[in-house]
Order: sequence, then structure tokens, then C-alpha cells
Amino acid sequence: MDLLSNKWIVYLALCLFVAGINCNSVENKIYVKLNYTVPCVRLLNSTHQIGCQSSLSGDVGVLHVLESEENLDFVLRNGRNPPYMVIMESSLFTRSVMMKLKNGSSRVAGVAVVEPTSNPPDGFSPHTRCPNENTGVYSENYGPGLAHCNTTKWNPLGNGLSYEEFDFPIFSMKDDNDTQLIRQCYMDHNRPMNGSDPQYPLCAMQLSSHMSAVTSTPTCMRRNSISFSMSNDMVCDPLSDQNIWAPSKPLNTTQNGHKANESVIIVSARLDSRSFFSEIGPGAESAASGLITLLAAAHALRNATQDAQLDRTIFYTFFHGETFDYIGSSKMVYDMEKNQFPIDLDNVHSVLEIGQVGLHSSSNLWLHTDPVSMRNSSIQEEVKNLIANLKSAAAGLNVSVTEPGVTQPLPPSSFQRFLRARPFPGVVIEDYNSSFSNKYFQSMFDNADSLNVLYPPNLTPEEQLNHVTNTAKSLAEVATTVARALFIQAGGEKTQISSIKADELMVSRMLYSFLISSNNSWTQEIVGLKDVVHLNNNTVNFYISVEQQASLPTILVKYLLANLTGTAVNVTQENCKNQKESEDDKESKHLYNYFWVPGAAPPNSTERDGFCVRSTVHWSRAISPAFLMENYTTSEYSTWTESRWKEIKGRIFLVASHDLEMLTLGVGIGVLLSSLLLTYIMSSKADILFSSGREPTSATY
Amino acid sequence: MNLERLPNEEKLTLCRKYYLGGFALLPFLWLVNVVWFFKEAFLKPPFTEQTQIKTYVKRSALGLLFWVTVLTTWITIYQHFRAQWGEVGDYLSFTIPLGTP
Amino acid sequence: MTAAVFFGCTFIAFGPAVSLFLFTIAREPLRVIFLIAGAFFWLVSLLMASLVWFISVQISNKESVSQQKGLLIFGVVLSVLLQETFRFAYYKLLKKANEGLLALSQEETMPISIRQLAYVSGLGFGFMSGAFSVVNILADSVGPGTVGIHGDSQHYFLSSAFMTMAIILLHMFWGIIFFDGCEKQRWLAVAAVVASHLLVSCLTFQNPQYVSSLVPTYVVMFFMGVWAFYTAGGSLRNLKLCLTCKDKDFLLANHRPR
Repeated sequence: MDLLSNKWIVYLALCLFVAGINCNSVENKIYVKLNYTVPCVRLLNSTHQIGCQSSLSGDVGVLHVLESEENLDFVLRNGRNPPYMVIMESSLFTRSVMMKLKNGSSRVAGVAVVEPTSNPPDGFSPHTRCPNENTGVYSENYGPGLAHCNTTKWNPLGNGLSYEEFDFPIFSMKDDNDTQLIRQCYMDHNRPMNGSDPQYPLCAMQLSSHMSAVTSTPTCMRRNSISFSMSNDMVCDPLSDQNIWAPSKPLNTTQNGHKANESVIIVSARLDSRSFFSEIGPGAESAASGLITLLAAAHALRNATQDAQLDRTIFYTFFHGETFDYIGSSKMVYDMEKNQFPIDLDNVHSVLEIGQVGLHSSSNLWLHTDPVSMRNSSIQEEVKNLIANLKSAAAGLNVSVTEPGVTQPLPPSSFQRFLRARPFPGVVIEDYNSSFSNKYFQSMFDNADSLNVLYPPNLTPEEQLNHVTNTAKSLAEVATTVARALFIQAGGEKTQISSIKADELMVSRMLYSFLISSNNSWTQEIVGLKDVVHLNNNTVNFYISVEQQASLPTILVKYLLANLTGTAVNVTQENCKNQKESEDDKESKHLYNYFWVPGAAPPNSTERDGFCVRSTVHWSRAISPAFLMENYTTSEYSTWTESRWKEIKGRIFLVASHDLEMLTLGVGIGVLLSSLLLTYIMSSKADILFSSGREPTSATY
Repeated sequence: MNLERLPNEEKLTLCRKYYLGGFALLPFLWLVNVVWFFKEAFLKPPFTEQTQIKTYVKRSALGLLFWVTVLTTWITIYQHFRAQWGEVGDYLSFTIPLGTP
Repeated sequence: MTAAVFFGCTFIAFGPAVSLFLFTIAREPLRVIFLIAGAFFWLVSLLMASLVWFISVQISNKESVSQQKGLLIFGVVLSVLLQETFRFAYYKLLKKANEGLLALSQEETMPISIRQLAYVSGLGFGFMSGAFSVVNILADSVGPGTVGIHGDSQHYFLSSAFMTMAIILLHMFWGIIFFDGCEKQRWLAVAAVVASHLLVSCLTFQNPQYVSSLVPTYVVMFFMGVWAFYTAGGSLRNLKLCLTCKDKDFLLANHRPR
């Protein structure tokens, strides 16, 4: 390929048209490809499609840098050269602006949003005001007064942009060279001078994000399965990933169904978040705060649960896809009901969920409970007991735990899916009372800054990794509270709880790994070799995505949980990979999971000291049961699918005026016609034209 | 094949074959018949077999017209309502363009 | 609407060549064959030139600007010389072929004269070189963008098309003059062809100042055209006769069955 194009370039140079030594191909003279393009993609559920899409070949529009909302008039009415490609700062990326653009979409070719360097102070959430409104437990049959966020809107800042459908592409861009170039191009060519319209050529941009799926999940899943069609293209895939879970003591995981004499406390956190743009899902508060707390608590409980013989097993659980109508939790409940899980619902004693616990400048945790199931006195008693345990665990720590004073439903939480199956005692820990304290719920601003993970200037990455921030300290406090409460709840002695303490350094490192860079010296030590390639230097994207792609949060949590709760065992690499402790060991794989991790390099050596980690970490598919039942119109389960696409790209270039194009065509036709006429005359009179007196017969024509 | 070189009887046989062949749901045979034998049937000076050829060509034209009407109607209906028919529309389609309802 | 640019440029670049082909060549199979053979010979010369170029780029110092510039000039000169060499080779081949054709034909005269061959092969050369110089530009002219984001002139497509037209016509004229020069052993004419070819190729180094490359190219083309016209047997008198439509009696006087 390269060789061939080389030749073309050579010939371009040799024959004619390239000045000097810049052997650029013509394409490079016309287009500037944008390097960093993050699109908003199309998602579908049982009835709707959301997100954005371009036409098949990409949408082209003249660039317009939007300076203020009033400036929209130019795009929607006054501008002479529609359609326009609107470039805007993220401060203008609001519902009112986007809805105006959506309604005037015949004059809008697309939108590019420039990522800001700092978060908007007033908050921004593209999610709805009532997340997962229809798939939680509350409905007309279960606490009708509490359904549809009647008592409180959990996400008051939510503007619902993520759930709108746009028929033009919307891309996100970093504020870097590309955006600089776009602004320059706009300034040079498109800015109206002295009130008059700008002259051609104008600067334009093309954004391509054509989506294959359309209408709804039933439609696209049907089209996936139509096999006699010419093009056997899949058009959409279910959103899915993995749930990760680890019991505090080994359970036989190959035997499914009810486990006799087993009582389990499920302690869970969610593993995913999202934002308007699919590849940006920082989810610092909405996902990372909870799961880091849970990991730290599990770490704190490692020794305590091994030393003390507890009555109940603690079941650390990470649910994936909770943002999209509780994919992970509904799948696990479904499996437990169908006896396709190592334990069933009868084994579950109680549920403790860790939600958003970023603790923005307060130290107050709120314990949310379900008022409907608490009407049952035995449940109420168990819940009170759990709350009491949490309160006694928090005693002497820097956090206070409070119950919401009024009767209100549970916030959006995985626990609701358990309650849908049957009443359970359970508590959801959050850092808010009646609405999210997170101002950036599931937006691209839900990042390290919003969680206040800030480092002193001039720290090297290595120093940042090990720097204990205030956020880390407060998360560690929460983790300690959770760990101690779990210990008591599981039947441990209250006198022993003072020895249970979450490690602040671990929390700091996890914060750094999830929010700043997943590729650091610590993760390189503990992530298995085959998964190291997935680590990168960016913020982890918590968007669940489709099953085909290994998702980084899942990988990280898997290895973190294994390293923090498991033990290093003296097993060869070969046996470790085959899930056994010795050559003739056939039992361990039912109880344990073995990871071979690279480990640290000893001083004066570059060779890492790998070792085998034995843990009870397991994982199971987190896919909505709707896709197992092949019922895509259900309202019971999540039906979210992600459309496939062929190409995501953006490029800028100049467009010529219509007049010049027509002039070229006119000249072309003129040349063609006149040469046809001329040659006709010449060839018909060739005998006369090319006959000299001397040799009359040898006419050329 | 050059019709000019063919004797009249064979022209008739050929025309009849095409006419009859069209009944096997092959409207294009009728189209060929009409185009091919139009000159023979209507423009040439009269010859014995011409009347029969005329009938075949006329009938072929009629059949062709019928097919054209039916197909045009069906294609119009199909294009217009495919998206609304949903499942049925998808199963009726051989290719579904990506990203369209 | 950039399809307009594509068609405009195609018509400009290939309009004259296509109309010449339609009216003078397409009807005679022998001419078509010689046209394609001529195009093939040009293609072989291109292959040789690109081989040499490919090797020399590999061994050259890619960092040095002056070396790369020198290499480009070297490449252009080499390519021109190779093209003219192949034109000569084609001439030799045609001479041989003509003898063979004469032996085959039942008539006494040759089925195609060497002058006709000169014109046909020149056009063949022109077609191929025109195609190679403009095809990938045409491919990009479909849009949606036009040249200029790095500050280049937006008349790039138009001037490329006109340049290609000139090159095609020039190849045709060169073919006529070159073959005639070889036939009559007038080596000065041959040298003039090579020199003007070199000149035109080097004029493109003036790009992107399109005016300063296009205008001299068209001047050269004009002179070459006049020369070729005279070489082909044309004269001012013939032109006058032709224009004043006094050809009837002339035709009668000179007409002989061919």
C-alpha cells in the first residue's frame, strides 16, 4: 500500500504538480484530520433511540464558533451559508441551546464541544432528574406514592441531554492543537468582517459517525438475526460486561443453587457510569468513590475475617451496568432465582450498598432505607439492627451516620432490584439526604477535580500515586466504618473492631489509578500480564460498553480485589495459570481463583518477581436477562443496546464558492464542446489542411 | 440472431415461444418479444404469418403492461410502508440499508 | 456540488484528447491498436523512472533538504529523457512493424503512413501521461473540500486541468515532430523536442505560482503546435483555403482515391 502510494506521489512530483520538495498528496493539501474525536453514539432501548448520528458519508457544514446563546440566531436564521457546524465551549452545552439546535436541525450539520480545563461551578448533569425511573422497585404496585421520584428528585440538576436523540453528529474535542487550528481557520475565513458576509472559500468541517442501528432494540436485534440478508452485518450489541464478586470465605462456586447453612451479607457498589460522550465516563463520584470504598473495606477485613470465625459470609459485589437500568444487579438476582448462581436469594441475609460517598466537605453519611418493606416488622428489626451496627461502627471515627428524617424512597440503587424480588433488610449508604450532592452526576465533569483529588504542584507521577489526599482520608474513614459495621453484622465481636482500619495509602493509590492514570508502577505490579496492555495514562472510562471490549474498570477491580483480599501462595506459574496449587490438585479451583501477577522488581534488578495470588474473586456475566430471554420489549429488565458503526472521524477543510464550482464546470463544458467542433472541422477538412503540393496523398488524417 | 435472415415461419415459432415462455412468470420475455418483433408485426409489408405475430406481440404487450402495473404498485407500497410494517417489513427485505428505519 | 468541479476538470483535461480520439482514431482499429501501444510504451518508461526514483530515495539522506531537492530535479530530468528514449524505441518498433504490415497487406501501399503513426502514438503518450498526472487530483476534486487550508491557491484544480490538457496536446505535437525528425534524419528537431519537454517539465517547479508555469507552457505549446502543423503538411495557404471555403475546386483538383 505504502509503496504504491509512494509511486503515485513520485509521479505527481515527476510529471507536474508539486512545488518544491513537499511531496504531499493532494488529500493533505485539502484536509486536516482531527486526531482526538470522541463522538456521542446511538443507544437503543425497547422503545426509543438516543444519542447522535451523521449521514453515511459524514455531515459537512461551514464552521461557526458559537460565542453566546444569542449568537444562535446566526446559525438558525441569519447565516447565509447553512448548514453550519457549530463549535462551542462546554459552558454553552446546555439543554436550551441543544434543544434549539435540535429543532433547527436543517440548518445544523453538527456540533463540536470543546472540553474545558475546569468544571462549571454551577454544576451540570446530562442525566435525567430521576435516574432509572422505571426499572427500580417503586411502581404503581409498590409504594405508588414514592414512584417516579414523586417525593424527591434525586438529580435536580439533570437536564436529560444524554437521553435525547439528535439527528446530527456531536463530538467532543480536547482544547489542544486541533481546536486551535479550527479556531484559526474560523478566524481566517469565516468571521464576518465589518458586518458584511465572509467571502469564499469558507472553512468547513466534516464529522462522520454513522450509526447502523435504528428505531429500537427489538428492531436492531431482529436485524442482527436476519440471516438471509445480503450483508450479514450486526447492527447493535447489548450493553454488557461482568459483575465481580468475592465471598469473605471460600464457597464452592461450581455448585449452583441453595447453600445449606449459609447466610450471606451482600455488600455492593456500582462499577459503571457514563456521560454524554461514550468514551468519556470519568464517574469519579458516581462510581469510583463507592467502589474504592468497598475495595478498601474488603482490604481492611481481610485479616479479621480470616482470624475470627464469623457466622455470616460477607459477599463483596460489584455490579456493572447499573446506570443503564440495573443490568448487573438484575442479572445476579435473575441468576439467584433461577439457581444459576452459587447462592440463592434464601442465602441472602441482608444487603448493604455503598453509593456515592465522596463526602463533599461534609462528614455526614446518610443511611437510606426502604419504607415499604419496613412495614414488615421482622424486616424492620433487621434494618434497625444494621443501622445500629453502622452507628456503633462509626463511633469514634471522623464520620457521622444519619437517617433521613422523613419518609422517602431509596435513591437509585442496586438494592432496589433485590427488593423487586422479595423484601430484604438493607441499607444504602450515600453522602446526600434527599438529592445528590454530586453536581456533575454522570457527566464528563464527574472527575478527579469534582472529587477534590488534588495534588500539590510539582509532584512526579510516582509521588502523586503515593500522596494521601484529604479525599483519600475521608474515603478511608468511610471504608473503616463500612468494614467495622460488616464485621459486627457478620457476627464479629464488637471489641475487636478497633483493629479494623482501612489503609489510606491504598485508597490514595486506587484514587490515582481510577481518576488520574491507570498505568502506574502500582497497577503494573498487581495486574496480570495478559491484561497489562489495557492500562493507559488516562482517566478510566466507566462506560459499560459492549461485551466484545474488555473494560478497564472490570479488569482493575478484578485484580485489585484479588490482591487486597487474597493471599500470595507458593505455586508455580504453570499451576497458577491452570487454577491449581499442585499437580494433582482438583479441588481448589472450585473454591479459589488464582492470578499470576508480575509483582515488584527487587532493587538493582529489572526482572519482576512474579507471584501467584489466591483469592475468592469470581465474576459472572452482567447482561440484561432480557437478552437471555430474547424478550426485547420487556419493561421489567434493561434493554439497552449500543449501535455499531463503521467509522468515526472528523476533518476540516475549505469549501469553494458555488460560483467557482459552476465556473469550472462551465469552462470544462466549453472546452469540450469547442474541441469537439474544432476537431470535427479539422478532420473533415484534413485533406485540404494537410496536403502540400509535393506529396498530396500522405495526409496525416 | 438476425431476424432478417430468418424465414417467416420460424419467426412465428420464435414469437410464439417467447409469448408462451412469458407465462412462466418471466415478463422480461414478453418485453423482448414486444421490442424484437414490433417491426415485424406492425411495420413490415404484410405476409401470411404477420397476423399471428401481431396477436402474440399484442398479448405480450398486454401481459407486460399488467406486470409493470403490478410491480410498480407493489414497489411503491413497499417503499412507502416498509418502515411502518416493522417486523414484516424486515422479513420481506433482502437488504436493509444500515441506519434507516 | 463538487461533482461540478470533477466534471469541469475532466472535460478541460481530456476534452480535446477525447474529441481527437473520437473523430480521427476510434473508427480505425489499426489506429486504436497503435494508440494503446503508444500509451503502453509511455507506461513502461514511467515504470523505469519510478524504479530509479524509488531506489534513489531509499539511498538518499531524507533529512537533507538540498539533497531531496536535487533528487527531485534529477528525477524529472531522468523521467523526461526516459520518455523520449521510449518514444524513439517506439519509432524504431513501428518502422519494423510497418514493414511487416506492408508484407501482410494485399495492396501496394501501406495501410497507415508513418505520419499518421506519429500522430497516433503521440496522442497515446499524451493520454497516458495526462491520466497519470491528473487522476488522483480528479479523485480528490469530488470533495467535499477544496485546496487551500494550508494557504494554497484554490485554483489548484483548474490549473491542474489546464496543465494536463497542455501536456496531452504537447505530447501529440512532440510525437509528430519527433517522428518526422527521425524519418528525415533531422536530429535538430529531435533535440528541440527533448529540450522543450525538459523545459515544460521544469516549468512545473514554478508551482504554486500557476501563472508563471501555465503561460510559458501554453507559449511552448503554441509554437510546437505550429511546427507540428507544418510538419504534418499544413501551410498558411491550406489554412486560408480551408477558412475561406474555397476548397471545392481544390478538392476536385487534388482528390485521388486513397
